[in-house]
Amino acid sequence: MGKIFVVKTQVGQEENVANLFEKANRRTGKIHAILAPKELRGYIFVEGEDIETIKTVIRHMRYARDVLDKEVQIEEIENFLFPPSAVANIEEGMIIELVSGPFKGEKAKVTRIDDAKEEITVELLDAMVPIPITVRGEQVRVLKKKEGE
Amino acid sequence: MRACRKCHILTTRSTCPYCGEATSEHWQGYMVIIDPVNSQIARQMKLKMPGKYALKVR
Repeated sequence: MGKIFVVKTQVGQEENVANLFEKANRRTGKIHAILAPKELRGYIFVEGEDIETIKTVIRHMRYARDVLDKEVQIEEIENFLFPPSAVANIEEGMIIELVSGPFKGEKAKVTRIDDAKEEITVELLDAMVPIPITVRGEQVRVLKKKEGE
Repeated sequence: MRACRKCHILTTRSTCPYCGEATSEHWQGYMVIIDPVNSQIARQMKLKMPGKYALKVR
């Protein structure tokens, strides 16, 4: 089994570095997998036979900066492999605040949740007429569990 | 690029060339599996085929 190491990259170039590692593997044959989670900016995980291979590969690689000496255990990166749903902790009736988009800063009540699309439908609290708006799960922050609580 | 909703493999097609499921253009996280036999990550993700995958598909 391979060992997992953290490679520092230029921010925004994580996917490019992953592709460059794949290309480099055609020469070395000692890299097994590369992981570039969206949540981590400027870092990727590279699984290979040993750290020396990775150090040699990044020496002339554009956008790759360094490799951390400490090996990472698979349990430590499990939360990146199986990212939780953006609507996992949202329930119908909750009061939320929209954190981006045209209604940023507005408070609203959750009326429907779409688990597959990770979208929620809300009604703005300050609106004169309740108009349902569908937003992405990442665009909201939970304020209250349920109205009145 | 688009990602298969079922197996998460990245493709340019609107249906997955491997499992036939519809693909989505809304995906996050990037993963390259080169050697699934010797990879801990591939084993954890239950992936048996080398290729490029998305971590999360909506």
